[in-house]
Amino acid sequence: MPTNLPALRARVENAAKVLGRCWPLQSYIAANPLAGLEKRPFEEAVRIAGILYGGRGYPDAVQLRAAWESGAIDADHLSDRLQAHGITATPEQLLNRMGRADDKRAADERAEPPADDDPLNRAMAKWLAAFVDQGNAPWPMPNRHSGFYAAWRTVAPHDTSLPHRDQLHDLPERPLDALSEALSEYDEPQWESILQHHLTALPGWAAFVKWRAQARHDAWQATYPITMAGYLAARLHTARALGISIAPDDAPDDAPDDAPDDTSNDLAAPLEAPPDNGPPPSSDAAPWLEAWEATYREQLLADLADAASGTASADSASARPDAQLVFCIDVRSEVIRRHLEQTGAYDTFGYAGFFGLPMQYQAHGSDTRFESCPPILTPKHRIHETPCSDHAEAADTHDRWAALAQGGQQLVKSLKNNIAAAFGFVEASGGLFGVAMAARTLVPGWLRTRRQAWDERIPSSDTFCTLSLDRRSEDSGSDGLPVGMTTEEKAYYAEAAFRLMGWKQFAPVVVFTGHGSETANNPYQSSLDCGACAGHAGGPNARALAAICNEDEVRDMLQTRGVEIPDDTVFLAAEHTTTTDAVRLFHPPGLTDALTDAQAAIVEQLQSDLRTAQEAATTERAPTLNGARPAHAVADTARRASDWAETRPEWGLSGNASFIVAPRALTASLNLQGRSFLHAYDWQSDSRGTALEAIMTGPLVVGEWINTQYYFSTVDNAVYGSGSKITQNVMGNVGIWQGNGGDLMTGLPLQSLQVDDHTPYHHPLRLLAVVQAPTERVERILTRNVELRTLFDNEWMALSVMDPTQENIVRYYQPGGTWDASADPAAPYRLPPNQRTSVPDSEPEIASSV
Amino acid sequence: MSDTNESTEHRLHPLKKIEIVVKGKREEFVQDLLEQSGVSGYTVHRNVSGKGASGFHEGQLLFNDESGLVLFFAVSGANRIQSIIDGMAPLLESSSGVMFVSDTQVVRLKKFVGDDT
Repeated sequence: MPTNLPALRARVENAAKVLGRCWPLQSYIAANPLAGLEKRPFEEAVRIAGILYGGRGYPDAVQLRAAWESGAIDADHLSDRLQAHGITATPEQLLNRMGRADDKRAADERAEPPADDDPLNRAMAKWLAAFVDQGNAPWPMPNRHSGFYAAWRTVAPHDTSLPHRDQLHDLPERPLDALSEALSEYDEPQWESILQHHLTALPGWAAFVKWRAQARHDAWQATYPITMAGYLAARLHTARALGISIAPDDAPDDAPDDAPDDTSNDLAAPLEAPPDNGPPPSSDAAPWLEAWEATYREQLLADLADAASGTASADSASARPDAQLVFCIDVRSEVIRRHLEQTGAYDTFGYAGFFGLPMQYQAHGSDTRFESCPPILTPKHRIHETPCSDHAEAADTHDRWAALAQGGQQLVKSLKNNIAAAFGFVEASGGLFGVAMAARTLVPGWLRTRRQAWDERIPSSDTFCTLSLDRRSEDSGSDGLPVGMTTEEKAYYAEAAFRLMGWKQFAPVVVFTGHGSETANNPYQSSLDCGACAGHAGGPNARALAAICNEDEVRDMLQTRGVEIPDDTVFLAAEHTTTTDAVRLFHPPGLTDALTDAQAAIVEQLQSDLRTAQEAATTERAPTLNGARPAHAVADTARRASDWAETRPEWGLSGNASFIVAPRALTASLNLQGRSFLHAYDWQSDSRGTALEAIMTGPLVVGEWINTQYYFSTVDNAVYGSGSKITQNVMGNVGIWQGNGGDLMTGLPLQSLQVDDHTPYHHPLRLLAVVQAPTERVERILTRNVELRTLFDNEWMALSVMDPTQENIVRYYQPGGTWDASADPAAPYRLPPNQRTSVPDSEPEIASSV
Repeated sequence: MSDTNESTEHRLHPLKKIEIVVKGKREEFVQDLLEQSGVSGYTVHRNVSGKGASGFHEGQLLFNDESGLVLFFAVSGANRIQSIIDGMAPLLESSSGVMFVSDTQVVRLKKFVGDDT
């Protein structure tokens, strides 16, 4: 009987559900590596992930001890939480016990014999790497355009590392047929567990395939497609060719459990085995994590409550500021905003750094397009840079130099790679390269200054290009993505921005400020860029929204919708370089000359104040960076930005722990230490709650992705992070692996999270969302958005509300849908009782054993 | 009623209709399934709101295209609809969503079944 192919297709989809997604390096997206398990309670999900991937779910003893000894974990909170978990041992005993368990675990891992499927993993990693290569390999894998399975099918029969490769000669043409053939000895109920076993064997690669298979707008996927079924078909047949059984030997239930080994306990009350139908055993570390979170959250909420009582008495009708700057919600914006506000009459706002524009972007002179919006949105507009006809000279100069630089690079690459030329080239140019290498190593800061001076002579594209913002029907691409926007769409995006931020008045100068990083020789650059722009710098989106808001037609339309922009307001765009805290204004053609004298004066003063803020912000950050000199903080960050040996140009979003949805007035007086995402919101101008719903279902969810990425990369860097940068290799311009093969590393490198091997910098705390809005409004949003609610119910993040209709009382959301009506934010933070909302549609993620 | 129709010029032909509601992230799976089943066409409504066993799903969110629901419907002969059911049933074992199959009638039979009978 022929296999039921539609059912097989569904089994593949089901088996892949446990996987997260992994994006390529050029658009690194910080995502929860356990995204596939998010519909389960956190505690249960990390336990399952421990079985599937062998990863830790909680901070280890070293991290907890450091937090405990530095006072980041409050003793009262800890004893409270230990009691709630029924643990009677002292903190010291527990730390020792956890330390021993960690040591034993590490020793066990080292002693583990190589697994049976190691040769299979090696073979698959090899072929996947060859297939997904993005222009790095001089000799690419043949037949790639037919898809992964077809390309593999062409070459695998010649792979001498496969002893039974002769079996691979007559494979079916279509991947699904091949997969069906490989599974023919097994019954349908067994398929899912077999497929899941194979997908979780190389979880990084499988997560990348999962992303790639769904990436409709990705040019590489369009040219060289890969599907999950194709990957699995190749993997299962490779297993056969290696003589390995495709079914897992032992049931997943037999995998090592996290439960502590009783024989090694010297404590009176070890964790008890759970009753058969009871909740799973919690880790020793769970109460520590909860106490750590409670300590941070209690302080933050107390500070906010103080600030709220202060702002309530202040005069709410503020004078018109000179300029308003909109920064990304990114935690790094908080530092520069705080310092900038101190320099003059500036208001700052927080808004998702893609500025609400779901767009795909292509820069002038570049042949690649990228999505410049969060991963939960699909781009709806294609925007590209086009040189203006009246700036042709600048465009020519730019293009000439760009072509020269590109030609030079290509020449060097081909001379290096060409067998005939390589030896002569090295002989002739070795001295020159030696000098360059010495300069890059010894005086990177000086080199950067020289390069900048040189770059300033060449016009940058923002000075002679406009963006293709107008919809032209003839320009729709083959993938259906239209170029530009209609006037209605432009007005819609502009209005959304001002409504979501609760905008009240317009200053003469409004600056949308995107952000990006500056770093040399760093495959993780995009992890330091704007997460809301899918791991790219946010400048293009900022320029697009500024240009939209300057259009007369858009302003007219906004006026009819009740958003009145004064004639003397101009919108500019800028980019905040987070590595150096420099903020550079863009100069769109024609606009700089069109500024009024008053506006020009404000811009001049603003640029000077931005430099002052840069000095203050870098000085504040300097003590956290190893070896930095606070007295020369700006120069030091410049050196970090250009030093090719620098493993830590900046801390990225390390430290992130809260997400505050409130007017800046609530947070302006606080030093939030770059740990809070800040989204502007005014509850009074959003009576229907639509703005808050957009914030909570969009930017807040992306904040949770980022936070969980940092969390898991910190608690188990080897499994969920990517290990030390020192031993990493970039694979095919796509991903990272440790050494010269194996699984794709999906998370953040050690240097982004730790000061050194033993000293953590990032505090692995789950995100706390603080929303200043009436409780019932937040409740209504949670009721209407079950996916969002699930994140709180399952404790992937926490939620508290400051209710301005009730004197800013702080309420903690309790999983299940109730609120802790604690009126005093300084009262001990209580995590909910061990009640769980059941998720009706959830089936076990670990497919039953075969 | 059918008796009346048979006497008119526009005769109605019995076929099956399948309606599927799934989460946005399953859209591509269902679309692939429909394509592979050989149905001549289908309709997609994206960003649909609705309440299921797990709670309410709001569609039309400003900054989130993944959490809304997607509604598909397709009309075809019983065999093709059965192959869609074969693909949907295992999916719905572990993903939220619903599927309805009902009898329907069309005038232009060829448009829905082509030359396949």
